[in-house]
Amino acid sequence: MFFPLLALVPLLAAMAVVALARESMRFGYLAAGASLACLVLLFLFGLPYGSSTVTWFTVGSFAFTITATVGPLNLALLAIVFVVGALVHLYSAGFMKTLSEQRRFYLEMIGFEVAMAAFAMAGSFILLFLAWEFLSLLSYLLIGFWHVRERATRAARLAITTVLIGDLALLAAMAILWNLFSTFDFAAILAALPSHATAPLFAAGALIALAIFTKSAQFPFQEWLPEAMEGPTPVSAFLHSSTMVKAGVFTAIILLPLLSVAGLTGVILAFSIVTAVIATLSAMRETQIKKVIAYSTVQELSLMLAAVASGAVVAAIYFFIVQSFYKALLFFSAGSAMKATGEESLDRVSGLRANRLLYVSTLFGVLSVAGLVPFSGFFAAAGISSALSSNLIVYAIISLVGLGTSFFIFRWFFLASKPDRHGTTSQLGYLGLPKPMVYTAAILAVLTLAGSAAFFYLPAFLSSTGVAYLAASIPLSFGVVDGALVTALFAAGAVLSFIAYGRARAQRTPGKVRVLAKVAYTHRVFIFAYGLCAAFLHEISEGVGVFERYLDDGFVLLGRATMAAGRKLRLVSVGSVNPYVIISAAGVVALLALAYLVL
Amino acid sequence: MVDISLLYSAVTPVRVFVALCALLVIGNLAIRLSNRERLQFAYNTAVLAALLCTGGYMLYTGAAQSIMGLVSLNPFSLFFAVTMTAAMLLVSTLAYAYARRFDDFALMASFSLLGVYMVAFASSLITLFIGLELMVIPTVFIVLLSRRSLEAALKLFIIGSIAVALLSFAVVTLYGSTGSFAIAAAQGSGSDAMLLFAAILFIAALGFEASVFPFSILIPDVYEGSPAYATAMLGGINKKVGLIALLYILMLVFAPFRQAFIVVAALSVVTMFYGNIVALMQHNFKRMLAYSSISQAGYIMIGIAAAGPAGVGAALFQIFAHVFLFIGILAIVAWLEAHGRTEIDDLIGLSGENRFAAAAAALFMLSFIGLPFTTGFIGKFLLFTSAIGAGLLWLAVIGIINSVISLYYYARPIIAMYTTKADAEPRKMEWAVAAVVAVCLALTLVLGIYPQPLIHLTSGAATYLLAI
Repeated sequence: MFFPLLALVPLLAAMAVVALARESMRFGYLAAGASLACLVLLFLFGLPYGSSTVTWFTVGSFAFTITATVGPLNLALLAIVFVVGALVHLYSAGFMKTLSEQRRFYLEMIGFEVAMAAFAMAGSFILLFLAWEFLSLLSYLLIGFWHVRERATRAARLAITTVLIGDLALLAAMAILWNLFSTFDFAAILAALPSHATAPLFAAGALIALAIFTKSAQFPFQEWLPEAMEGPTPVSAFLHSSTMVKAGVFTAIILLPLLSVAGLTGVILAFSIVTAVIATLSAMRETQIKKVIAYSTVQELSLMLAAVASGAVVAAIYFFIVQSFYKALLFFSAGSAMKATGEESLDRVSGLRANRLLYVSTLFGVLSVAGLVPFSGFFAAAGISSALSSNLIVYAIISLVGLGTSFFIFRWFFLASKPDRHGTTSQLGYLGLPKPMVYTAAILAVLTLAGSAAFFYLPAFLSSTGVAYLAASIPLSFGVVDGALVTALFAAGAVLSFIAYGRARAQRTPGKVRVLAKVAYTHRVFIFAYGLCAAFLHEISEGVGVFERYLDDGFVLLGRATMAAGRKLRLVSVGSVNPYVIISAAGVVALLALAYLVL
Repeated sequence: MVDISLLYSAVTPVRVFVALCALLVIGNLAIRLSNRERLQFAYNTAVLAALLCTGGYMLYTGAAQSIMGLVSLNPFSLFFAVTMTAAMLLVSTLAYAYARRFDDFALMASFSLLGVYMVAFASSLITLFIGLELMVIPTVFIVLLSRRSLEAALKLFIIGSIAVALLSFAVVTLYGSTGSFAIAAAQGSGSDAMLLFAAILFIAALGFEASVFPFSILIPDVYEGSPAYATAMLGGINKKVGLIALLYILMLVFAPFRQAFIVVAALSVVTMFYGNIVALMQHNFKRMLAYSSISQAGYIMIGIAAAGPAGVGAALFQIFAHVFLFIGILAIVAWLEAHGRTEIDDLIGLSGENRFAAAAAALFMLSFIGLPFTTGFIGKFLLFTSAIGAGLLWLAVIGIINSVISLYYYARPIIAMYTTKADAEPRKMEWAVAAVVAVCLALTLVLGIYPQPLIHLTSGAATYLLAI
């Protein structure tokens, strides 16, 4: 079997990173080369589709087997991992300028890439879960990469607390499914599905949905993703926009028949729509340059899940693919702007226009997110809203979300590219950006445009396979009305945004409150939406975020309390043996009591 | 004329093994008098290696026999003895690098190892009792080899004394009910109150030896205060022998007593939570490892509570895995200690100073967490599935929740080690320490990737034990 070996190439690069005697600035190129090598191998050996099983070990009659499978979606995700991975490593070669950080950073990034490739090939729950765990761990390590910063470690802990809730849910779902089907193999489980939901099947489906919501940052678990922006920008571009957070969507697609038999598609649709609304509203008021994009990612993930839940799997896969490129691009731009100006807040970042190539590349990404015609974002938005058009309420909400998207992404762009307040320093910063950082953004901009062509080839590419999740999918297409609507919403959002932020008077540091006031003054529509939804929905999600923080603090507090108790019990001088003897005696008595109570 | 073939046939592996045991003690004593440390190390290592080979050969050929009703050789006891011999070989190599007086260590350790063998081969409660004492008391002197460890040694002695008291009480109670010192199934139903009392006393007494909560609250002090090679011996050999003795007694004598296994399950839960939660707040690396080791005892007890061949096999696998994980990480701790670094914060910059040490320590941590491709993963997987198979789903869930909690503190040293310090200078590791770390790392990774041989051995030992 060739495919499990694919992961070896990045592994080799990681070994090289370890083996090289001194920290080197060239690790990025090495890692990018390994990713490209994987991509070549993928093209050479990716087809035909199939799966293979390896037995790892056997205990008694139980055989621990690992199944790797390759279908269209697996191949797409693998390609994304290696293309974006190569570009991210190149970008990092410019971004991570501290010599001493090189080895740890690339080791963790390559480790992540291997785990993600393994995840993309999962053909059974065992490999899925193993990879899922590695993703959690590496995400934790990478978010907390700059661990001397208190906020970074806090964000990392929040992320892993949230994600581990999902890990436990997934494990419980696996135990239930094993009892039901006696196999972990996806194909076998989907083939053996009953036609009606039973209570255990519903429970398993609900637990899987919970895992999906935590990993893909859906309501009410979405708060960890914006917080995760404390990690280095290449990490945000790779893990938290184009690959890892999509693990949930990926799982939802391949297990769609199970979820729909369990009767959960309606629930997933409802939660994803709510998430889309919250994320859009949050993005409109956010001022941290990367967090705006993070909220936008949350919203896109929820649109993907909404499409999957409505049966529009092909549209979801298309969005899944093209979003990776333009979202990574926007993160690259944000990182470059932060590096050039040394600022993180949209109020203070400025002067993006100084570097022409970067400016144009960023504009490509922005236009694609907002949904302008020849860009891939337009096709994705039109395809999804067309697929959802059967449900009028959902269609209306999706349209409003589209308007909001266009508005907040242009706000982000206008604020980032407003004339320079810092004078020549930041202009020099932009012009002096390392070349890899600018050129990778340009490559992604080209891919953003090229992704549009995939719209016409994807259905043919997918039609030749007999995969369960594609069997009942709504075909990928859109009518003139949908296209016109998306374009109209794009234009409306862009114009409104220009009125609020694009003109000269808005260029005086618009603080959060003043921005809101301005929005209230000019655009009553938005403030109405805010008044109605934001207050309510945001409170709920904040509440869950607070709960997760409490859970996180709870661990720490519990540890501290036990520690304090332990210190009291600790014998300062050996003379005072009494407490220890008393505790031990109490332990023996407790054991006896327990044994006789059970008797 | 002496018939050579007669002489040849008189040499059986068992006799060789016994002769080697005698040689270990007598030779070490003789060389100790001559005061030559290097010779002592060479001799000690050679005899230990010979013991390892002989034991491995017997394990391979499947020899099973009983001598005078006091000692029995079987796949279970041989697996136990071979594992502990290998562990002792590593610990003594480590001690050679760092002990103030290796000759004293070698002598004490050889007595201690004899005690381990007596526990392993015991088929009588008297043998077991004497074996445990013989194992524990020399350890107190080993801890005392470092002048600063007086407090730790005394605490260890206190733990040992209470354990002895309880164990003799337990033996006497059992003798009072059955009228025999033989380790054999106690005749009597699960409702016999006297036998149940004996069972609980055994659990408590061996719980002291195996550092189970609440009998383990002094253990972290002992681990922190002892020199690292002594800690490696305590956590890698003594505590594991306590666990195996507990497993042995419960399976052979008290198998029909359901309550005893429920008590073990309860102890496992509190031990896991105690170890993992308190470990979260530790700043001293060795102390954190002490709590982590307590929590590992809790995981292993899941397998004992699950009983059955799957549970016992899983417990043995995890014991094997943890012995070498613990000795491996303690070797690194010993090396750090020699440079005056004891806190987790002191680990910062380790990857810049010695990449091998940092990578090995990181892999040991990942194995403690239970990540795939390490023995820790296979062990935990076997433990949790055995619990589910025995109808103890709740215990498996608690075990998984504890693994999740442990992620928080095992990740901290990894992050610290791979954070670079500006003025990091390369530091070489002594060859002896590097060898110990390399062997432990190899066992962790090789058996993590290809666990089948070890699973074969542990499930063979488990089936044998349950078939007696």
